[in-house]
Amino acid sequence: MTFTPPSARPAAPAQTSARPVVPTLPAAELFTLPGGLTLAAQPRAGAAFAVSLRLPWGSAHDPLGLEGTAGVLEEWLFKGAGGRGARSLANAFDALGLRRGGGVGAEATRLSLSGLNADLPAALHLLADVVCRPELPEAEVPVLTDLARQDLEGLQDTPEERLALHTRTEVFGGPRSAAVGHAALAGYGHPVSGTHAGLSAINAATLRAAHARWGAQGSLLAVVADLSAGEILEQVEAAFGDWQPGAVPKATEPHFHAGVRSHLYHPGSEQTHLSLSWPSVGADHPDYLPSQLALTAFSGGSASRLFHAVREERGLAYAAQASSLLLGSQGFWQLGAASTPARAQETLDVLLAETERLRAGLSAHEFERAQRGLLTGLAFSEEGLRARASAMLRDLVLLGRLREPGELHAQLRAITHEEVNAYLAALPDPLPDAALVTLGRAPLHLSTRELSA
Amino acid sequence: MSGAAGGRQLRLGHLPGGLRLLTESDPQAATVAAGFFIASGARHDQTGGQGAAHFLEHLLFKGSEALSAAELNERLDWLGGVHNAFTSQEQTVYHIAGLPEDLPQLLDTLRELLRPALREPDIEAERGVILEEIAMYASQPGVRVLEAMQAEFWGTHPLGQSILGTPASVGALDRAALDTQLQRAYAPHNVLLVVTGALDEAEVWSWAERELGQQWPWPASTASGGPAAESAPSPSGQIRQLVWPGLERAQGAFAWPGLSAHHPLRPAAAVLAELAGGENSRLYWTLLDSGLADSADLGHLDFQDCGSFEGGFSCDPDRADEVTRLFLQTVADLHRTPPTPAEVASAARRLAAETGLRADTPAERLFVLGLENLPQGSERIVTPEDLTAEFAAVTPAQVQAVLSLCSFQRPTGALLLPGS
Repeated sequence: MTFTPPSARPAAPAQTSARPVVPTLPAAELFTLPGGLTLAAQPRAGAAFAVSLRLPWGSAHDPLGLEGTAGVLEEWLFKGAGGRGARSLANAFDALGLRRGGGVGAEATRLSLSGLNADLPAALHLLADVVCRPELPEAEVPVLTDLARQDLEGLQDTPEERLALHTRTEVFGGPRSAAVGHAALAGYGHPVSGTHAGLSAINAATLRAAHARWGAQGSLLAVVADLSAGEILEQVEAAFGDWQPGAVPKATEPHFHAGVRSHLYHPGSEQTHLSLSWPSVGADHPDYLPSQLALTAFSGGSASRLFHAVREERGLAYAAQASSLLLGSQGFWQLGAASTPARAQETLDVLLAETERLRAGLSAHEFERAQRGLLTGLAFSEEGLRARASAMLRDLVLLGRLREPGELHAQLRAITHEEVNAYLAALPDPLPDAALVTLGRAPLHLSTRELSA
Repeated sequence: MSGAAGGRQLRLGHLPGGLRLLTESDPQAATVAAGFFIASGARHDQTGGQGAAHFLEHLLFKGSEALSAAELNERLDWLGGVHNAFTSQEQTVYHIAGLPEDLPQLLDTLRELLRPALREPDIEAERGVILEEIAMYASQPGVRVLEAMQAEFWGTHPLGQSILGTPASVGALDRAALDTQLQRAYAPHNVLLVVTGALDEAEVWSWAERELGQQWPWPASTASGGPAAESAPSPSGQIRQLVWPGLERAQGAFAWPGLSAHHPLRPAAAVLAELAGGENSRLYWTLLDSGLADSADLGHLDFQDCGSFEGGFSCDPDRADEVTRLFLQTVADLHRTPPTPAEVASAARRLAAETGLRADTPAERLFVLGLENLPQGSERIVTPEDLTAEFAAVTPAQVQAVLSLCSFQRPTGALLLPGS
């Protein structure tokens, strides 16, 4: 089957005036403040601003034995700051009509705000109060660790969340031996809520020690507002100028457990859920963009290989998808699906067959669709205020600099069909190393190949 | 037709065949979004045919007489942007966003969606997908407790019908039933096409007049997809107890009668729910700040002829009695301790900010423009900026007026507990 985009086009109107000109953003600028905070300032016309602060401390940086530290600390920051109690801090955010976002992830903690332009200086001061001058009331610690414990237990009740939790532990869990000699980090094996043991060991003193580490050093602030880059810098300096450096951020790497097979009995689920992971390339690898393009063809839309084979052709599952996971400097592919028990083994078999078939390469049309998909996605990430702030943070984390306008667009355009197929042809069979975690009433088997081996 | 904030130009009108078109051209936008909004959803499913509106939504992605499912999917992916659809109680929505230079293909593809071939093999494959979707939701305790609450609150009211249907009702839907549903629900007077973003208004209107104006696939039917008559629910006033072995958390879900989408106090009802159960709300400070529960919320849902306040919590099973008591007491206390002007102002500002900041890109604006302008009856075009202004203008007196119309004294709901 070949597909050519429809050739019939509405005739252009006689008066050719109004085809809109797509606006382009002025260049963003980078600044480093004395404490070490990196500011990415993006001037952008409009009534609203977006601010996103990324602290390089996530749940993977929780000290070993104190799992849950980052999650509890982030909550603690909002229990009063800058001389205000918890209620009056919440009221101060409301008084400015600010929308709050962010949260703790494995790699980092993000605090985001958006609001109307006139309120940017006050919003930056509030954010700086929360980060640099929190009250940290001791009486809140037992409440917050207990809330984290409740959240952790809640993850057991939903099949999808329980599978994700079990996958973390079984596939990415355990500290790296390289951390010996330093204060060991807990790594990627636990959720942001922590572990029961970790939450029992956390107290006000351990949290204060963590807060002392969270400083300007390695932190990134993206601001998108209707101001010049210089004006944005001035406002940020006024709010964050005296932020102390804190500790040197530590890199942490996942401990991938190749070949794991694990099943979790979960009688409450009417479906068998599966998660299949294997190592791929990291973001700094020359094959990263070709791999992303291949992933888009594999699982990036309604005509993608997995969606077509599992859902469209066979009706085996509501969703079956592959995604890429970046942990530390490493990359992984992760496949997931859920089907009722009678069909779950067939779903897994189809996923495996499609994985094998992918190595034979993409057709020209598949390549073209995937490339267009990535290019269109770029336009969306330039357009929204908050999306632009996130894109700048991503550039800084992955590249250590901001991409030039049009740079990624040109890189994506430059990828050739041959290049992607050469990348796929050179891939080793991922299945021997792949980690399979399943959840439901009965386990699944990876392949007849494996069983007969 | 009219200008709006940020240099945006709006135009709403009827095409010759009866279908309505709303365009919003936005000189600041770099992308474009379009969607068909159908004034028909699960509440219009026939008795015994629950799940038909949702099944049909899936089948529209299975291709037309001119395009196979695979070809349609390839076109959608070729456009590169986000595309999807959803079915709710009163609407079915198909939406897509992409680059301005692809707008002609994007509109042609959307048009093709609404001419489904309903091929038997496609229906059978999709039935399997929907049965998996039903199994997926049935495995989630949060969904079970919500469904039990809705059964107690709505009873036999059409708004109590399950969107997905049951395995039995979905198993029984055949091509004839689905085709009947299509012709009734997608009659032109039930359909609004919205296109917003970087577009040329004249181009879109001339495309629509040519492609949709005369040759709608079905004749304008006299049967309406809309509710037969205005009706209010008759909640049971009971709290149904459910047991699920092995559960870690207790969950509660409750509802009280609210206001309809057309009620002038609708924004005040949303502000009341926000100050009771949003961020920095009474429920937050009573249950979350104290650590008694790890979630607690209240919201206001509005439909064409009635509305509801719905909320719930999650907590440790051994705290379920205390948390239920405090949750219901906090909500009922809205009558005894009326909201202060500061509470109202704070909640109104939060909702105004949320609405305003979420209307940044064409893909975000599309939903407000479509859902707010789908009901007919007014020539005024409702924009995200109008909603923002409505929330910002809510007064304590209006919130008090909602409290005199809606009573929180008699809850209806469900409680889910672990069992052995």
